[in-house]
Amino acid sequence: MGITQILFWFLSALALFSAVMVIASRNPVYSVLWLIVVFFAISGHYLLLNAQFLAIVNIIVYAGAIMVLFLFVIMLMNLHKSSEPKRNKWLNIAGVLAGGCLLLVLVAALKSAETKSSMAVMGTGDIGLIENLGKALFTDYVIPFEISSVLFLSAMVGAVVLGKKESSFRSEKESA
Amino acid sequence: MNALIISAVWGVLMMFSGILLKRHFLIRNLAVIGLVVLLVSDLLEMSGTVFFKMDVKGMILFDRFALFFDAIIFAATLIYFFLSAKDMEKIGVNYAEYFALIFFILCGITLVASFQSLLILFLGVEIISIPLYILTGSEKKNLKSNEASLKYLLLGAFSTAIMLMGIALIYGAVGSFMSQQITIAKTPYSALLIAGMILLLFSMAFKASIVPFHFWAPDVYDGAPTVFASFMATIVKAASFIAFIRLFNDSFGGMKPEWQMWMAVLTAATLFIGNITAVFQQSVKRMLAYSSVAQAGFMMFSLYAMNSDATEGLLLYIAAYSLATLGIFAVLNKMNDHTFDGFNGFAKSQPLVAAATAICLLSLAGIPLTGGFLSKFYMLRAAVNTGKDIWLVVFAVIMAAVSVYYYFRLIQAMYFREGNSHTVQFTQPFKWTMVAVAACVILLGIFPNLLLYWLYF
Repeated sequence: MGITQILFWFLSALALFSAVMVIASRNPVYSVLWLIVVFFAISGHYLLLNAQFLAIVNIIVYAGAIMVLFLFVIMLMNLHKSSEPKRNKWLNIAGVLAGGCLLLVLVAALKSAETKSSMAVMGTGDIGLIENLGKALFTDYVIPFEISSVLFLSAMVGAVVLGKKESSFRSEKESA
Repeated sequence: MNALIISAVWGVLMMFSGILLKRHFLIRNLAVIGLVVLLVSDLLEMSGTVFFKMDVKGMILFDRFALFFDAIIFAATLIYFFLSAKDMEKIGVNYAEYFALIFFILCGITLVASFQSLLILFLGVEIISIPLYILTGSEKKNLKSNEASLKYLLLGAFSTAIMLMGIALIYGAVGSFMSQQITIAKTPYSALLIAGMILLLFSMAFKASIVPFHFWAPDVYDGAPTVFASFMATIVKAASFIAFIRLFNDSFGGMKPEWQMWMAVLTAATLFIGNITAVFQQSVKRMLAYSSVAQAGFMMFSLYAMNSDATEGLLLYIAAYSLATLGIFAVLNKMNDHTFDGFNGFAKSQPLVAAATAICLLSLAGIPLTGGFLSKFYMLRAAVNTGKDIWLVVFAVIMAAVSVYYYFRLIQAMYFREGNSHTVQFTQPFKWTMVAVAACVILLGIFPNLLLYWLYF
């Protein structure tokens, strides 16, 4: 077992464990911190696949920007025991059952899948390098790339619509 | 291509019109002009005039079917603007931005109608969904609107995650996002491909509010401002079905034996739950929400059958259903009382509008001589032509009979009850648009070929 494989198994176990901890911890702040661990573990996987750019972007955008935003929101919301909604025990059981069924079906279906022969090659391959990624993005995938700008624009417009104050609305309506 | 680019650019234009144009009617007119431009450019593309030529690497395919569907959608949106654009003023201050978001949604609809790559499907579905979350929550002072928006966002994000998981599994199995590559996947299909297909089926069923993924629909339609609820229940629902049928025709067409039974079960469940729950509703808005679920059950027949009858029928269904539902929602939006009792005595005070509404309701119930009847007929004929599962067709007919109850309840309230709904006032243009909508519904029921002709020539 080479160092790559050891790293792979370690990172996989870490990612799975912290992903479970995200949903298992009671305190939302801990959840966010565990989520950051998940992102770091996944970034490690990207590095193993020789995709340094993706790894760095994953850390900067997800672990850095988005998670900090999450933390701020949670702290601003000032959650504590009394504000916690009452959990229905049966709802929890139903959720666990449904999720467990999905897991069972997916694992049962995928365990016989023929991925073993064509597993991703670790440590080699250069599609994840920034130069090749850029080339793919601006030649083969330029249409989806440009279209996603519409998506972001609409999200921005939406953020403004939701964020803008409406106190002037009533008076404007009266004067109109 | 024309419609895709013009709708995105016009969305930006509407965004800036909020700064430049101070008068609401100017903004409204700009939006209507935009839609006319969209419709004309789309029809021009159908006859071969393409303004924008670019290499899309086969990811988008503007075939006759997609362009024709886009034309139906733009026409329906135009009618929607005539009926309801004025009422958007009441919701909030961001009048121009609402139109901008609607144009972005139209851009997403042109994408999902013509995608050939799962990447484009994902982008299109998201471009439709994100503005919708915002439009649902646009009535900021209304707690119900906020709740609906949050619920829609959370569940929608969840279904998007499932869709992405499905796309990832399919990419793992096939090594490509392209529909053509997925179609030629070798038999026996790998477990990865089947699992991915099932996940995609679930997420698309969520977007189209198919039972058992429909729970968000009544709450969101009920909580959202009525003007936007009508847009979501008609035009956006039609778009989800086009994406659904394109996905399962172009990508998974060869795997029909794998998913046909799933479709049959989903169809039966949707018809049953949608119709039975609609019977018990007291609010017309909620009744329409459940009726949209029930009508989705009929549209599911096109997916179940998946033959040329089915695609034709779906287009007709979309046109007939969208027109009728837009009309009823527009009238509902003017009413003060959204319960059935609020419509009492409506026919006495507003005979013209009441007659138009009644025709729309008859069409939804599937009474002959209306578009609703013929489109249901096309759907059932498509299912019969597959030659199996006749029980499903019989079941659908029984459920259509159940639906007559709740649609006629509204007609009964309008015509045979005494009440004081005469306080509602309608402008002249609104009345005539309603009459035009009702006329279109009847025209579609008598000469469906007026519409379907365009699909081929």
